[in-house]
Amino acid sequence: MKINIGWLYPDLMNTYGDRGNIIALSYRIKKRGIKCRIIKISLKDDPNLILQSDILFMGGAQDTQQEIVNKDLIENKAIFLKRKIEEYTPGIYVCGAYQFLGKYYKTALGKIIKGLGIFDLYTESPGIDAKRLIGDLIVESKILNKKLVGFENHTGRTYLGKNVNPFSYVLKGFGNNGQDKTEGMIYKNSIGTYMHGPILPKNPEVADWIISKALEIKYKKTVKLKKLNDDLENKARDAVFSINKF
Amino acid sequence: MFVKILIGKLMGKISAIFNIGSGSTWPGHIALKTDKKFIEKIIKKNPHLKIIIVAGTNGKTTTTALLSHVLNKLGYKVFYNYEGANLLNGIASILIKKTNLFGKINYDYGVFEVDEFSFPQIIDKISPDYVFLLNLFRDQLDRYGEVNTIGYRWFQSFKKLKKETIFIVNGDDPFLFFNAEKLKNKKIYFGVTKKSMKLKELTHDIDFNYCPNCQKILNYQAIAYSHLGDFYCSCGFKRSSDIYDFANEKINYPVKGLYNIYNTNAVLSFLKEVLKIDKFNQLLKDFQPVFGRQEKIFYKNRIFFLLLSKNPAGFNQSLRIIKKILKNKKGNILIILNNRIPDGTDVSWIWDVDFQMIRKNVKNLFVSGDRVYDMALRFKYEDINTKNFVNFKEAIEKIIKSTKNDEIIYVLATYSAMLEVRKFLVGKKFI
Repeated sequence: MKINIGWLYPDLMNTYGDRGNIIALSYRIKKRGIKCRIIKISLKDDPNLILQSDILFMGGAQDTQQEIVNKDLIENKAIFLKRKIEEYTPGIYVCGAYQFLGKYYKTALGKIIKGLGIFDLYTESPGIDAKRLIGDLIVESKILNKKLVGFENHTGRTYLGKNVNPFSYVLKGFGNNGQDKTEGMIYKNSIGTYMHGPILPKNPEVADWIISKALEIKYKKTVKLKKLNDDLENKARDAVFSINKF
Repeated sequence: MFVKILIGKLMGKISAIFNIGSGSTWPGHIALKTDKKFIEKIIKKNPHLKIIIVAGTNGKTTTTALLSHVLNKLGYKVFYNYEGANLLNGIASILIKKTNLFGKINYDYGVFEVDEFSFPQIIDKISPDYVFLLNLFRDQLDRYGEVNTIGYRWFQSFKKLKKETIFIVNGDDPFLFFNAEKLKNKKIYFGVTKKSMKLKELTHDIDFNYCPNCQKILNYQAIAYSHLGDFYCSCGFKRSSDIYDFANEKINYPVKGLYNIYNTNAVLSFLKEVLKIDKFNQLLKDFQPVFGRQEKIFYKNRIFFLLLSKNPAGFNQSLRIIKKILKNKKGNILIILNNRIPDGTDVSWIWDVDFQMIRKNVKNLFVSGDRVYDMALRFKYEDINTKNFVNFKEAIEKIIKSTKNDEIIYVLATYSAMLEVRKFLVGKKFI
């Protein structure tokens, strides 16, 4: 068996340590005796590479990089990405990437930046004086029946539409918008989230969920993943629980 | 004025006598509270005093100390601050300390390193004669915010400066170079020779790999580290050919690492272009590394080699030094990761560091700090084994037991961790 991970814009969407998600996925795939290839897909690369990917990943960045990437996504890669997401290819989209895939982003000055419209959600900045939502994030995932940890750092407030479900519910922190207690979203096998940390190394259940889905879609059968020793993962997660008195 | 300086001086003395924690900054705090224009007034009273400001993500403390060292050797009277006092309060405090009761400062140069975030606010008050811009990398994103925003705020604030201010700028940094070019002030560019640019491809710790002029991805003829290098774009934007790299001068660089060649070249370009001096090696001689920056501390017959490592670009540079020293050999390494306020509370950035490069150099790898398990996990995912200690003192105890006399232990620590481990090893506090 072999899994290809399509890593979107590794040279631009690279600011918040989200590379850890790629490192965690490939490590956990290889430890199961499954081959893993990482395909880097950036501005000049052939969008057909997206179609070869069994897992997709895109991280967060700063405003300038996001503008560059958003333009390229809409012009060159949107249809490929949409097709894969609709065909249930699992993926994880963090922070800026999560916002892109929604309908639009309204900037602090009220300018509307069009998104890819793949996910039924929109994001708005409440204005130039808006508080940035920063800090540890502790959430409860209903699908995994597990408490997860991460770190959020965003100004945009995201609101979910009817066609997507929340990825998890906030126990500590702000999540999507600081109001409705939701964090992230799940649509088919795609996860959108504000969780840096990065999310997958410290929450191996999410990484394994993505890997299982990738195998299921690619090989059309349920593959039971060998259990790994997640001692350090749990200790790193416990550190965040204990700092926040959980 | 007289009264404020007197009170400030008294408070400085009192806090020094009673050893009150951040005593060095609160005389300034009070002075600014009673008179917002305190700094401007002192500066105005001392037109003979030349002021140098040193800004950048990495290398401020070393560059400030090196500048002061060479100016001293040239016979100038120099005072400088250090990073514990690089906010507005700290600068006001050091001014209080260095003036007499009539507001006169009997020095030729004041050299100030400034915090990235406070820089615009400081520059507004202090009207410097020279501004050093060393580099700009992501650092403590939860505290400072986006690195672009930091940079834009810097260049906005420069618009208010007097036209005589001279900028000494890292010409290998595309963002700093592009924005400096737009300033009307005189610029002196420093960098490193292409022979020192040895990276084959850009690493993951880059922040400005796109063209600041047209936003296309930048091309590089050669890469020094992070996004520093010989860059060019199809729109015509490219690195200047007028960069001081001192490649033909046989410089004896006083501190290790490519990043310190940058810091030293910044100082040398100032000497050459502003002071018209070129007997460099004589001036650089005897410079001692600043605390925590390649500082060697002897403890129980071991050599602890401290390398402050607090963001991806800086951490990668520290790892390169270890790799360069060890070559094919293996060594003892201690990494301490804290996430207190001065470190930034988010530890995500450790995943942007390329730990793979020291894989073959690890004999014993000890990890510790408030977020020890985050660091241990980072190494697990590189298939490198660690010995984990919640308490760094236990780690050091274990290191002493598992090493011999005269062995070197490389200590990479975040800011608060470095201060703590240093205090423990030296037996006293620095700041």
